[in-house]
Amino acid sequence: MTISNAPSWFQALQERARQLYPTLALPDFKRFNYRDWQLDDPAMQPPAALTPLASDDQHFNQQAITYGSAPLQVNLTAEMRDAGVVVEDFATAFTKHGDLLQQYLMTKAVAVDEDRLTAFNLANLQHGLLVYVPENVQLTTPLQLLHLQNSTTASSDFGHVLIVAGRHSQVKVLQQLETRGTHANQFHLITEVVALANSHVTFTGLDMLSQQTTAYLNRRGYLGTDARIDWSIGVFNNGNTIADFDSDLRGHGSDAEVKVVALSGGDQRQCIDTRVTNYAPHSTGNIAQRGVILGRSELIFNGIGKIIKGAHGAHADQENRVLMLSDQAHGDANPILLIDENDVLAGHAASVGRVDEHQMYYLMSRGIPKKMAQRLVIRGFLGDVLSQLPSEELRERMVQVIEGKLKNELAD
Amino acid sequence: MSVLEIKDLHVRINDPEDQASREILKGVNLTLNTGETHAIMGPNGTGKSTLAETIMGNPSYEVTQGDVLIDGRSLIKLPVDERARAGLFLAMQYPVEIKGITNLEFMRAAINARRADDDQMSIRDFLAELDKNLAFLNMSESMARRYLNEGFSGGEKKRNEILQLMMIKPKFAMLDEIDSGLDIDALQVVAKGVNSMAAPDFGTLIITHYQRLLNYIKPDFVHVMMDGRIVKTGDAQLAIKLEDEGYAGLRDELGIKANLVDDDVTEAKSDDH
Repeated sequence: MTISNAPSWFQALQERARQLYPTLALPDFKRFNYRDWQLDDPAMQPPAALTPLASDDQHFNQQAITYGSAPLQVNLTAEMRDAGVVVEDFATAFTKHGDLLQQYLMTKAVAVDEDRLTAFNLANLQHGLLVYVPENVQLTTPLQLLHLQNSTTASSDFGHVLIVAGRHSQVKVLQQLETRGTHANQFHLITEVVALANSHVTFTGLDMLSQQTTAYLNRRGYLGTDARIDWSIGVFNNGNTIADFDSDLRGHGSDAEVKVVALSGGDQRQCIDTRVTNYAPHSTGNIAQRGVILGRSELIFNGIGKIIKGAHGAHADQENRVLMLSDQAHGDANPILLIDENDVLAGHAASVGRVDEHQMYYLMSRGIPKKMAQRLVIRGFLGDVLSQLPSEELRERMVQVIEGKLKNELAD
Repeated sequence: MSVLEIKDLHVRINDPEDQASREILKGVNLTLNTGETHAIMGPNGTGKSTLAETIMGNPSYEVTQGDVLIDGRSLIKLPVDERARAGLFLAMQYPVEIKGITNLEFMRAAINARRADDDQMSIRDFLAELDKNLAFLNMSESMARRYLNEGFSGGEKKRNEILQLMMIKPKFAMLDEIDSGLDIDALQVVAKGVNSMAAPDFGTLIITHYQRLLNYIKPDFVHVMMDGRIVKTGDAQLAIKLEDEGYAGLRDELGIKANLVDDDVTEAKSDDH
């Protein structure tokens, strides 16, 4: 698979990825084994589907919709157009903004040769999306990206999203992942967020891939001087997922705030590695994760805080909590701190618990049925992360998705 | 008009620490009609709270004999939420704190759980009712928007129990030491809330150590519990007599060989050290 208009530098990069990937190791997700998912097996990757998007899917209020390898649909607001915001698929961007792609694609955030899956992704890449917010542009309305996985036929999806926030720019991005169709397919998506000096990116991810989808999700932030990324990610896929949400604090005074809420149900297995690395002095990285595990499912949170020598005055804090609703559920919350600098403030908290019977009794003693009481306890558990989300609208949206998923899971 | 009947109720609790189980209630009989206020008094550890929790359906208590019925329908096999919807309410001695759920959404869920899907209480009607009751109990509006009991003082928690009682409007309310930890002003507010519920279709069972509360909520019947049984029943005068003479006097008068458990508590405490 190759993308049209690809210039020689990209072809060379892709060729390198093809050569490299068999020699590289699969990424390591602590306490989680996904080797039998065959995410790196070319034989498991049927060609991309090209069916056009159904007409009833086209009235979304989105700025960009990708649907497998079908052409990208773009619908920018007047504010975005006037400000010179770029939202293009790679085929277009190679021609119109090749310099931006060449400068930032897998050069700052994710490296091609990082591991087998980063290389495999590029080697098989079917579609890419470039978002560029020029210097000093501060957008008021959010930029909404919808990625629809086409599972109407047997096909794999390899995508890449590159978001570059210019100096002193401000942008809110909502990235939503959904599946159309019922075939059992793989979905590979790397999202790079390059936040240049003094920019502020508010990034929300809503992952709602289907039960038949096996997903590899990699979201990576690169933060320049005094840049800030607020990540809020809801992992509500119904299928198996490995997710890597990382932030590299490269710039002095940069700040990554990471909130992750995840739900596992049915027979699903999910592992989420969330890492923040403080490379620069006076950088700040905070991680807050809440996960709920239902049915016979599994959910592992690995919170990784790395502080590199020289990052004096760095702050790193993380809190990973998992709530299990059944005896057959399996969960873990592992804080992993790797600190090579003395002059830092770092802390962590983790817990794996079951629903508090006293809370259930109290709620039910007011006539609230058991399933609703469970939903309330779960909402309460997720509440202190949900309450920190950047907007009321987003909070409502997440609550709706959570309620929907809980309704299915608790309906026994 | 409804009736709550407790018949020959025997209850054990299983102590997870020493695997032993202990019989707490040894045959309690009690009939409570709506329109009546009953008070249960008695020394510490005599089974008063166990009685209330068992009627409500707390799964920690094991009923070995007897029955609890509303209007002839046995509740003993029903889970706690069904008992609540059948008309029972327990104002708890130690209300639970739940972070992340507002008091408001909790109470609305409780009310709507009693109503059909096509007859849910609207937010507007709910808020009107809530504001009225908050004002009646001298509670600030912000209390409703705070997380359920989280960070509430002891007095605020007790008021919040009464607020729930007023919002839910059960047939029978059991108040388990609603007076503990309250100053005199808060006690009056709580009593005012309970008294406002008085109606021919509402009955109250008050559990207390002290006669003081009964100055504000007048009981029609006073029952004294000792060693897992009701040993004496009288009118409001009985409470006043107990206040004067203490439980030891009544125990000796009735010839009951029960320990007054406060002694045990002291011993147990000294064992710890």
